[in-house]
Amino acid sequence: MSELAPLAIAVPLIASAATAALGAFAPRSLLAALNVAASAFATAACAVLARDAALHGSVIHWFGGWRPAHGVSLGIAFVVDPVSGALAAFAGLLTTAAFAYAWTYYEKDDGAFAALLQVFSAALIGFFLTGDLFNMFVFFELMSVSAYALTGFRSEDSSAVQGALSFAVVNSTGAFLVLTGVAIVYARTGALLMAQIAHSLGGAADPLVVVAFALIVAGFLVKASAAPFHFWLSEAHAVAPTPLCVLFSGIMVQAGLYAVARTYWSVFSGALGPHGDGVRDVLVAFGVLTAIVGAVMSYAQRHVKRLLAFSTVSHSGLMLCGIGLLDPRALGGVFVYVLGHGLVKGGLFMGSGILLNRYQTVDVEALRGKLRELPWLAVVLALGALGLAGLPPFGTFVGATLIDDGASRAHLGWLTVILLLTAALTGAAVLNAVGRMTFGWGPPPDPRAVTPGRENPETEAATGLRLVNMAIPTLALIALAIAFGFVPVASTAVAAAGAFADRTVQEAVVLAGGAPVPLPSGPAVPLGDGILHGAIGGALALALAALGLFADRLPIWPLLKRTYETAMRIPHAWHSGIVTDYVTWLTAGAAAFGAALLSLTR
Amino acid sequence: MSWLPYIVPAWIFVIGLYGMATSRHLVHLILCLSVTQSATYVLILMIGYRTGATAPVFSDVLSTVRATDPVVQAVTLTDIVVGATVTALLLAFALRIYKTYGTVDPQDLRTMQG
Repeated sequence: MSELAPLAIAVPLIASAATAALGAFAPRSLLAALNVAASAFATAACAVLARDAALHGSVIHWFGGWRPAHGVSLGIAFVVDPVSGALAAFAGLLTTAAFAYAWTYYEKDDGAFAALLQVFSAALIGFFLTGDLFNMFVFFELMSVSAYALTGFRSEDSSAVQGALSFAVVNSTGAFLVLTGVAIVYARTGALLMAQIAHSLGGAADPLVVVAFALIVAGFLVKASAAPFHFWLSEAHAVAPTPLCVLFSGIMVQAGLYAVARTYWSVFSGALGPHGDGVRDVLVAFGVLTAIVGAVMSYAQRHVKRLLAFSTVSHSGLMLCGIGLLDPRALGGVFVYVLGHGLVKGGLFMGSGILLNRYQTVDVEALRGKLRELPWLAVVLALGALGLAGLPPFGTFVGATLIDDGASRAHLGWLTVILLLTAALTGAAVLNAVGRMTFGWGPPPDPRAVTPGRENPETEAATGLRLVNMAIPTLALIALAIAFGFVPVASTAVAAAGAFADRTVQEAVVLAGGAPVPLPSGPAVPLGDGILHGAIGGALALALAALGLFADRLPIWPLLKRTYETAMRIPHAWHSGIVTDYVTWLTAGAAAFGAALLSLTR
Repeated sequence: MSWLPYIVPAWIFVIGLYGMATSRHLVHLILCLSVTQSATYVLILMIGYRTGATAPVFSDVLSTVRATDPVVQAVTLTDIVVGATVTALLLAFALRIYKTYGTVDPQDLRTMQG
């Protein structure tokens, strides 16, 4: 059974090689079918592994048969627990949807796009499944490099290349932070397998161990687009081809968050456990900052893809708060939220891709009133907006409920309010855009503002069959996002997060060959409060959107407008668009993160 | 254990970051990124260093001979491959940007503002 784990990566990689080799002469439909099939296989394999891990305990695959001897491991292992298996399956699912959406994309392309996308998805899956810290870094880099190339893929579009450059410089620097941290850990323990490192570290939390933890987590937070490491994300999203945005926002950013949780729970929780309060304060502080910056910037955008990108920043902050609480219940909530958010955001990006394809622009003001031609799309986007705000029955509300539970157990009740408000604000940002694009509501744009030019279309114009082909995955993801809220997943997620966070069992199973432990049944999770919270979030989103659309009818509008514009100058100035500034932010952010951790874990 | 293996790579890392943060030329920026990455090579190789040890190749010496850590060498090799890929890709981007905008100064490339 454990052979499925390497196959989940090998099959997409083989499909990638085949696509690249046959791309020049094989018919498009054959290549598309091959890639959809390969991704569907990877999805199914990961789902089977996750189910197996839940029923019988973690699935472990030792590469080359290098099993541990006398409790010491030199080999590299994939360790699939229910969480990593489920997230890998979700990565596969979104890739399948992206391939289905891109069926008619790049008709003139020689297969390079599909080949790169397949490498990207294989790396993502490997990243989730591996139980080895250096192996994780390798998959991280493979994922990153293919993502840079995909972002700059339309190299005739100069802004795409520029966005890819910022993306690559910032993320590579983050990866070097991770590698430096891994090297320090190796210097201390002589091990790279997570369970072995945790075993060797024991309870020693001297400054060197804290520095290693800070470097690894700061590096992964770059991928997770936590403020102030988030600047690359909006640029990469604004220019990347739409099928890629689905994966970037739906699972790549979340892979960074997963790595933060994995690093803490599987590697450092023994050493840093006694200083848990300090770690929690730092992670939650960065999470709150990220949630607020992302939400505020999202509301201020008029480019739909950038708007959605900043909303991803905000939701990433929300999930970082959930991880930072260091509570299995909140952690379970984060994993549910990843799925709920990924489906909603994937649907929204696919919707924006249809706009881009049809009108050669995703500028809200240029699209004023245009969405009337596609009323179904307006409904889909509005539904997605409510999903972002956490309105039941969207799956996001289940995750948010569990994170709120964790927050109140940690006596951080104020966190609930901030997370509710920021999620509502990102929903309002989308609703505001939908109101303008559908009904032409809202004050006219400032005539001094620069009107963005037309963007290069990504595909042939979407009419007839092409439109249907793009519409089906869009509708499917939004429908799944709604259906997901009805799946009684909360209690299982809490149990799975408990197993994810149980380092001692992982060590026993991985190193000593102990019997794997099946998932216990999770605690009952009452969702009553969560439904109320979600309803408030949805109502708040509608109210905030209405404020943006109709506030010009209020007598205090001039004052309101002036105050808002003055206040927004500051965050706008931060997002300067200059890559060297982003490196400065990254350096300052990593230094602040490390200093805060060092001082709070004394 | 000496602190030198940590101080030298830390210095290289920071000097690379400084170069990137103040760069006015994309090629310079990309090379500074490589400098930052070379800090990781130095760190990792130093970690595996053992005084008086030979290279970890056992085809012509006894396996009991004192050798340096082979794991760090494999890790560094992987790291170098990654570095070469990233640098090549970034230089291609820089070339494309130069062909389009006629400039390689990051300060002049701010179409993404806000």
